Amino acid sequence: MDTSNTPPATATPPVEDGRVWKAGRLEPMPIRKLPDAPPSVHLLGPTVFLVALGVGMGESYMWPRLVLLFGPEIRWLFLIGVTLQAVVMLEMARYAMATGESIFSGAARVFKPLMWFFFIVAIAVYIWPGHLSAGAAAFEEITGIPWVVTAIAGLILVGVIFTLAKVIYNLLENVLSLLIGALVLGTAVIAAMVGSWADVVTTISGMFAIGYLPPEAMSAAWFPVIVGACAFAGPSGMQQMWYTLHLRDSGAGMGAHIPKVRGLRHAGEEEEMPNRGFMFDTEDPAEMAKWKGWRRWVTFDALLLFWGVTMLVTISFTVIAQSAARINPGVRDALMADDREAALSAMSAAVSSAGSSVLGVVFLGFIALIGLNATLGLFDSFSRGQADMTFNFVPGAKKIGMSKLYAIFLWGVIIFGILILLFGPADGPSAILDTLAFLSTFAMGAYCVTLLLVNNRMLPKPIRPKWWSNAIIGFGAVFYLGMLFYSMIAFGVVVN
Amino acid sequence: MNGRHSLELALPGATIGAVAGAMAGGLTLFAGQPAGMAALSALALSAPLALFGGLYGVLLGHGVFRPGTFGPVGLYWMAAFPLSRLVQETLFGVGTADGVLTFLAYQAMVSLGFAIGFVWMHERLMPHWLIRRAPDNPVAKELLGHYLRYARMTQARKGARK
Repeated sequence: MDTSNTPPATATPPVEDGRVWKAGRLEPMPIRKLPDAPPSVHLLGPTVFLVALGVGMGESYMWPRLVLLFGPEIRWLFLIGVTLQAVVMLEMARYAMATGESIFSGAARVFKPLMWFFFIVAIAVYIWPGHLSAGAAAFEEITGIPWVVTAIAGLILVGVIFTLAKVIYNLLENVLSLLIGALVLGTAVIAAMVGSWADVVTTISGMFAIGYLPPEAMSAAWFPVIVGACAFAGPSGMQQMWYTLHLRDSGAGMGAHIPKVRGLRHAGEEEEMPNRGFMFDTEDPAEMAKWKGWRRWVTFDALLLFWGVTMLVTISFTVIAQSAARINPGVRDALMADDREAALSAMSAAVSSAGSSVLGVVFLGFIALIGLNATLGLFDSFSRGQADMTFNFVPGAKKIGMSKLYAIFLWGVIIFGILILLFGPADGPSAILDTLAFLSTFAMGAYCVTLLLVNNRMLPKPIRPKWWSNAIIGFGAVFYLGMLFYSMIAFGVVVN
Repeated sequence: MNGRHSLELALPGATIGAVAGAMAGGLTLFAGQPAGMAALSALALSAPLALFGGLYGVLLGHGVFRPGTFGPVGLYWMAAFPLSRLVQETLFGVGTADGVLTFLAYQAMVSLGFAIGFVWMHERLMPHWLIRRAPDNPVAKELLGHYLRYARMTQARKGARK
């Protein structure tokens, strides 16, 4: 292992011995003991965070809408997207667990401007309040209240919730996790009522129709939407990068040596943050055995929880979409005629058909909740990510304090979101969601490249990724960026 | 006495099953059905789901299942959920038009989603219930011990931070 006896520049907290791991130009990482991996596979690992964020608009709305339009065969792209995301998750976790640093710090070790690039991309992507707009559109279907009003009220509500978070965050977290549980249970029961075995067969066989792209999909109107939907297969945009912050904060792997970053919800209890993470002795067989334990732990999370839950929820929603197409064949033509919102009411009608209109309302209520839930999670993560980068890498930012920085970014993204809703170029809630999704693809292609650089250059050899894992991440970069650039070159548009 | 202690552990699971059944089961047959019929249909799904949900809690107390692990729970609901739906469809539904086996196969697939939702909710409700019951109920106390050991382990990892 490439270690030296150079003492670290700052010695807080004190190191166990003088050895360090030099990675990039930033401060070297002191060598510390890797904690033991949790002995049992437990359902409530940090992946819950990804599942909670990931199972959202993509699964419940964007993909079912594409199925309504192009048939279940289009879902082969979903299979590729989610499988890619499972591998991305394993690789993001590799760096975060080995060093206790976020992927943003990893990027800064490779080349500092790379980190600032993501800082800017995050802003460009997340000022588009797509989730909340789509949720508000569903709410409009139920109540008739215009979606812009609800979306703006929702944005302000999100800001107020996190500003009061010190008082109510635990309650909020509990309520949200119960809602997610109710959503998964409800989806399963509804799918059990409205679907049939034949729907599942076409849904699953559709996932293997590799290469299927009907001529209508290759149009300026729909190809960018498909690109966005690929980004929304599983966690989209920067969610995987924020997942590394979450892993660090939940003490996974070497994250155990890092004091927890206090967000706004713990203002006043801030701890001294070190500027760098730690490394374990990769030449010690005992340490490597523990490392393997951690890898098993995160692999279980990635495969069962993340891949499995995402697949199940999405299959259930696709089954609902297919019964929608059966009941109301006109919906396809309406969608083709660029009535983007037709998918929501059609799916609601399919659910209603299984029984009463009440059930259709329940479905729309789910979509509205997913919109709010996703926005809460995304804005929290966005503000934490941006505040983290500013705090660690902008001289003088430490004086402002983490919680104030968090508040600045949170309210900043909310104000920009409101401006976009009122004066932005995108017309209608689905268009805002599609724009967000399309831009997310760029962030995702870029993080695949970053991940390759960080894991292969900043980690000691014994714990670097295997060739096949690199190949898959490399494919991811080509997949996301390739589709994005093809869309821009072939159709000359971002989102119609 | 031991029977009552075990039965107490059934409450969270039974509640989740009953609510899930009532939530969708009741609404599904609402349209065009007399209220009494709709209520019976809801009951026909709620009752078996509550029964199986409660049984899960009891089996958890007896160490048949481990808290929070998914695999065995998934298998459990793969049998229990299709059976519950079969009861509902046979008694008050439209029947199984595509044949019973196809119906059961489809329900078994969906049941995995149900199992994830169930275990998710159960893991969040059960510890609260156990804390309430542990002083008077040795079975609850022992199960609570499992949860506490896990919590301490997680805490110990986090506590390693300086």
